[in-house]
Amino acid sequence: MQLKHIKLRRLCFAIILGSAIFLTTGCDNDNDNEPDNEQELITTVKLTFTPTAGIPITATAKDLDGDGGNAPTIQPVNLKANTDYTLAIEFSNESKSPAENITEEVKTESDEHLVCLVTTGASLPVPTIQDKDGNNQNLGLTSTFKTGVAGAGTLKVTLKHMPNKTGATPCSTGETDVEQTFNVTIAN
Amino acid sequence: MRNRIFYLFLISCLPFVLAAQNCAWSISGTVLDADTGEPMAFANIQIKETNAGAIADANGRYEIANLCEGTYTLVCTRVGCNHEEHLIQLKSNVITDFKLQPEENTLEKVTITAAAVKPQSTQATETISGPELASTQGLNLGESLKRLPGVTILSTGATIAKPMIQGLHSNRILILNNGVRQEGQQWGSEHAPEIDPFIADKVSVIKGASSVRYGADAIGGVILVEPRALPTLKGMGGEVNLVGFTNGRTGVASGLLQGNMGGKLPLAGRIQGTLKKGGNLQTPDYFLNNTGVEEYDFSWAVGLKKERFSTELFYSRFETKLGIYRGSHIGNTTDLLNAIERERPSEDGVFSYEIGRPQQRISHELFKFSSAIETGDIGKLSLQLTRQFNHRREYDAHRAYNELPNQITQPSIEFEITTHTADLTWEHKPIQNLRGDIGISFLQQVNTTDRGALIPNYKNYNGSAFWIERWKKLESPLELEAGVRYDYRQLEVGRQGQDTINQDFNFSNVSGTVGAIYRFPKLVNLRFNVGTAWRAPHVSELYSDGVHHGSATYEKGDANLQPERALNTSLTAELDNKKNFDANLTLYYNVINNYIFLNPQATPQLTIRGAFPSFYYQQANARLMGLDWSANYKIVPNFTLESRISLLRGWNRTIEDDLVLMPSDRFQTGLKFNFNQEEKSPFIRLTMTNMLEQTRVPANTDYAAPPAAYTLFDLEAGATFYFHKQPFEVGLAVFNLLDEQYREYLNRFRYYADELGRNVSLRLKVPFGVK
Repeated sequence: MQLKHIKLRRLCFAIILGSAIFLTTGCDNDNDNEPDNEQELITTVKLTFTPTAGIPITATAKDLDGDGGNAPTIQPVNLKANTDYTLAIEFSNESKSPAENITEEVKTESDEHLVCLVTTGASLPVPTIQDKDGNNQNLGLTSTFKTGVAGAGTLKVTLKHMPNKTGATPCSTGETDVEQTFNVTIAN
Repeated sequence: MRNRIFYLFLISCLPFVLAAQNCAWSISGTVLDADTGEPMAFANIQIKETNAGAIADANGRYEIANLCEGTYTLVCTRVGCNHEEHLIQLKSNVITDFKLQPEENTLEKVTITAAAVKPQSTQATETISGPELASTQGLNLGESLKRLPGVTILSTGATIAKPMIQGLHSNRILILNNGVRQEGQQWGSEHAPEIDPFIADKVSVIKGASSVRYGADAIGGVILVEPRALPTLKGMGGEVNLVGFTNGRTGVASGLLQGNMGGKLPLAGRIQGTLKKGGNLQTPDYFLNNTGVEEYDFSWAVGLKKERFSTELFYSRFETKLGIYRGSHIGNTTDLLNAIERERPSEDGVFSYEIGRPQQRISHELFKFSSAIETGDIGKLSLQLTRQFNHRREYDAHRAYNELPNQITQPSIEFEITTHTADLTWEHKPIQNLRGDIGISFLQQVNTTDRGALIPNYKNYNGSAFWIERWKKLESPLELEAGVRYDYRQLEVGRQGQDTINQDFNFSNVSGTVGAIYRFPKLVNLRFNVGTAWRAPHVSELYSDGVHHGSATYEKGDANLQPERALNTSLTAELDNKKNFDANLTLYYNVINNYIFLNPQATPQLTIRGAFPSFYYQQANARLMGLDWSANYKIVPNFTLESRISLLRGWNRTIEDDLVLMPSDRFQTGLKFNFNQEEKSPFIRLTMTNMLEQTRVPANTDYAAPPAAYTLFDLEAGATFYFHKQPFEVGLAVFNLLDEQYREYLNRFRYYADELGRNVSLRLKVPFGVK
């Protein structure tokens, strides 16, 4: 009996040691030292204002060097007074070559995105969003508005990811992927 | 799968085992025949100082219980044998074995072997072990230490907690896991220590600058995570721990099996593992989405201990996957301000075990070889060689647009850091009343950033030498210590993303320490220490350049930063009337020159996502001073009143302003009821924690004012039950008993959500063994 116990104990010990060493082997250590830098996802916001008649007007906000370094350069927008405009918004990543079109991605995942538009200035009304997502909620890549008399104002464009679109204030929910404010001049 | 195999082995070995559990405040062990290793019956064990004693039983086992904290000389004698003395510094339960030599073999020499007792620190030290440590089981390392005076946690949501010692954390404290400096990505405030607390038999916190003994970075202090020693007795034993928490419906299982083969080759071994799984956590009013955690830990050790020689191999592996509260993910400052304004998250959350993005996956491996030889003539030589590998992957919720489908599972940030160390220490033979250690150590480290250009690749080489001497005369009330250390560090910074930096840095430093312990007869001990410590700037402080998502700030490093140097003075008074009152008061004054901090800039950083407040890493002279207090008073034999207080003031002396992220003042009051006078008595304890509001914060550097003061109640109960002589230790705890809704200043997610609501935990510990 005593001997049997000792043997069992030795056997158990060997099993433990064996399994310990077995379990210790290797950590998958992939040493590819090429850092993959998905740093800036969106570098450029492009606004296209198309009047009912005449030449479309474009303005961009660009931050090609990412978060640090230089601040984004934002072009001013010059619109005509008392004119109906259709506003189309595009997003792209121009740090890559060729540039990536991110507008398509926003459209594909339209349920998860919302473009919020906020204006200041008496002659710049808030644009009315024309396009809808898969759930028939606002998307915001296309909108319309009519300018007032000559004056100045600003237009803030915000791209929201995962907002609560059915809530009372969808634009204060979700996380911001883009937020740029354009200076707008309205002339006769 | 691997863990399942391990548990299978645990269960398969269950029937062979035996109970050998010890509670705190007692000294126990076994008397062995030094020649055969067999137990020796009926030896006499006596404490010189108090004359208390015990006689070993037929199996050589003895126990002296009901002992107070202090230093004792234990003498073991037996007719026909030599005698042996052990110097024991009792702060918790101590197990010490004696090896007696039958007289016929030792007619010539009568050896008095002093056990390898670590000298008592002259610095303020807190230790948690035995039932106190058991009551924290299932919590992570930071949380299990947060009740100690002077220790707080810096958390990132409910799933990440980092220990903070006297206001300092991350790279300013050192964690020694089984004697090895833990080297991961500890610079990040959301990078929690990669340690399974079940590994520890004892966790000690040394407060204050301790570079001389432990090396660079130990500005705020050191946390020592110490596993139990491998068994020296023939036989097998172990324990099974099961813990469940209602909040997050978290379950933890941990098992340990250890044994010694005995005989001529007394090889000892241990295998240990822990599994943890939890789901979304809950505040009093709502669930926090994506706050689950999974953890798989495993360790083994094999050792051989002879009279003059010991060697040990140790391996541990820590794997975790943890969710980061979904509501904390924001795009820019406007989002953050919206989150603060709405006070309650826009989504209430539901319970789920699923862990989505954002999440962290971390694995940490430690391999250690250590060996020591007692030469007799010159002292003891110890060698330790280690390798650590840390792999951290962070998955951002803010995934890239236009990702290919197969890239969606790729992490946004990935680091790999490999560290090798070598330490050689010579503990010289006592020269009269002087005992000392001389040592050299080397460290080599390679960090690669595989994804995300948060910090650059770097190589780090360290070399250092230290010498510490301690003077202690047996009858003298005074004990003195002094030490000096030289460190050299070479840092080669490679590249960050597409940029090649190619910059080398050399840092060096001389640290020193002097300390004293004075023991007034019976009532009071005084400890005094003046120590220096240093820390070279980390690459994150030298080269950070980007937006920190959790805090919505743009942070920029400075490649010209100089090392931080700290001078810490501490005085501790310990009072114990050995009847019904004991108290411990520590006062400290820590001056840190070139303290690296994030200085807010006047102009915000503009990005395509909007504006972010901008912070630059800069240096200033800082001062941290405070008070740690703990006391226990037995009102009547069964009722103990406990008090713990931590006060701290942090000041930036260069710009004359408060330091950011300092713990607020904390007062804990507990009432403990013991059912009887025995050590393992069942108990119930009610603790009240008052956390004051942090009113000392630098102006205009935060989005929201620090949260209001709060009061929490915790209830704990513990008991040991026996079923056919098999002990079952059971513990029940209710944290946040009143389901208080509150937020804590030192939680970086305080902008987004409340702290956890009520959490009931039940734990069971089953020790087992065979003779």
